[in-house]
Amino acid sequence: MLQIDTISKAFAGTPAVREVSFTVERGELVCLLGPSGCGKSTLLRVISGLTDADSGSIRIEGADMTRAAANRRPTAMVFQSHALWSHMTVAQNVGFGLRVRGLPKAEIAEKVGAVLDLVGLSSYGKRLPAELSGGQAQRVALARCLVVEPKVLLMDEPFSALDAHLRKSLREELKSLQRRLDLTTIFVTHDQEEAMELADRIVVMQAGRLEQFAAPGSLYRNPQTLGVAQFIGAMNTCTTAVAQGQANWYGTPLRLALPDGEAALLCRPEDLFQDPQGARARVTRVIDLGPVTKVSLMTADGDLLTWTCPREAAPDVDAEITLMPRRLHAFRDGALLSLIERPEPALREGALA
Amino acid sequence: MIRFATKSGGNTPGHLQRTGPGREALAGLALVALPVAMLLMLTLWPTVSMVIATFTVDGHMSTSRYAYFFTDAYSLANLRFTMVQGLVSALSALAISFGIALYLRFSAGRIATMIHALSLFPLFVPSIIISYALVRFLGPNGLFQLLLEQVGFTHYRTPYLTPVGPFLAFVWEALPLPVLVISAGLTQVSDHAVEAARDLGAGPIRILWEVLLPQVRRSLLIAFALIFLGIIGAYTVPYMLGPAAPEMMGVFMQRTLGNLHDADAAQVQAVVLMVISSVVGGFYIATMLKSQGGER
Repeated sequence: MLQIDTISKAFAGTPAVREVSFTVERGELVCLLGPSGCGKSTLLRVISGLTDADSGSIRIEGADMTRAAANRRPTAMVFQSHALWSHMTVAQNVGFGLRVRGLPKAEIAEKVGAVLDLVGLSSYGKRLPAELSGGQAQRVALARCLVVEPKVLLMDEPFSALDAHLRKSLREELKSLQRRLDLTTIFVTHDQEEAMELADRIVVMQAGRLEQFAAPGSLYRNPQTLGVAQFIGAMNTCTTAVAQGQANWYGTPLRLALPDGEAALLCRPEDLFQDPQGARARVTRVIDLGPVTKVSLMTADGDLLTWTCPREAAPDVDAEITLMPRRLHAFRDGALLSLIERPEPALREGALA
Repeated sequence: MIRFATKSGGNTPGHLQRTGPGREALAGLALVALPVAMLLMLTLWPTVSMVIATFTVDGHMSTSRYAYFFTDAYSLANLRFTMVQGLVSALSALAISFGIALYLRFSAGRIATMIHALSLFPLFVPSIIISYALVRFLGPNGLFQLLLEQVGFTHYRTPYLTPVGPFLAFVWEALPLPVLVISAGLTQVSDHAVEAARDLGAGPIRILWEVLLPQVRRSLLIAFALIFLGIIGAYTVPYMLGPAAPEMMGVFMQRTLGNLHDADAAQVQAVVLMVISSVVGGFYIATMLKSQGGER
């Protein structure tokens, strides 16, 4: 449906997007996720044609769109600042794209009515944008795009200016609408939760590069780069040297089938468990989050650890406990070395004596 | 003054009572009394007495002076010429400054800054200087003609003493104001609003017509009124650069009074011009009030 092939874009010599490639299937909702300045919005603008790519190609349903002007592409974009035209009524805003296409008045009115109905604003046609709330304005902006029946809907952080509660409900509305219309959608966000909830698949971007393109669950469980591992969800990161299949994990020797050298060992807070052979740490803080309890710890070397556990298993503050990892993600030079399930403790020197 | 007194800490309730709305209104009136008195004495009274005088012939009410003005072919030609000159010059200035403002809105860098500065430059040049500069540049044997002759073009006809002469000066002189107000209007249109239109398939002309122009419509109307009023009352530019006949109302009035010593006729010309100005002025005020009330 939408093929992005080695797209690069630089502004005044500073690369914003570097050789990004991925393919989006029909009816799929793909999130571009990454920290501010990672190039996700630039990539979206390149897809829309509002910004030209320096190199690479974009194909929509097989047709090459790389050099097509924005007004010739079968895409429509919802902007972060809804970008409604303040002198036009809601109905005029929504009907703009149809007027451009030269449709007869009666047909425009009919389509505008239908799409306003779809976004739940059927009685708002005569209002001016200034008379709408933030959420309503963003829905009008969405309706303005939907009405031209784009092949690809592009959304640039459309909900980020809204409050948390509204964002959540609009997210659900969008998802059900997108499914119903079977609309191929690219959604830019820096909000992990939003991406995880909305997306069929997520493109994680960092410093202009595509780090990983995978389903939300897969990103969480099997991050392929150190960047993704540290960006998606929480991780305990322990950098250590591996020698002859042994590594020091927060002061505890573990047997790890890894090549010799420096390695970053990452472990999710929920992948820790209490074990007498584990790393010793002192509880500094216990936070009851409701469904789980978050325990902050400090090892003898001053490293910080986070452990999430059921409330009944939570230790007291200042207690000394020992923790072992259930799964370890091992990275070297930013790339995944190995995912180690149930790492075993190595024999401590002199333990047999 | 009284307001300050009530706000300072140690005042008694009695003090507060004495500063009622009546006293404040009086104080306000006292403040504006001087300018209002000046306005009444120096503008309104002479205007009213002059208007009355134009309707008085030999101690009797008469409209004969106006009848003369509106049947005299030369007077009418001058009035028509003034209106056309005002309209054409004001509209041209608006069109050019709209183009400049558009360019400034969507460009950045040294050239844009330079063009901005150049477009505001006429603001600091008096009409008399502009007039002389144009005479020296465009007039017979002026710099422009000499330059053209250097490249072999010898059929130059100077716009000096034709309607084009004052037109050029009026447009140049009028540029800064609309550039300023239209630029201000255009900055209200966000980049995203323009991009959204482009994204939905609109070409440049439609974006101009449906997205940009409606946002600066009021600015344009206000600028038009101000420029038009300035032009129809102008004296220096048409006197220096304009044709001898027909002449613009400013020159016509001055000549009628100064050369022909016909104060009565000059007064009639002034009243006619004043009525037209008041209509445009009223339209300006109405637009201003509407934009103040209508903005959200």
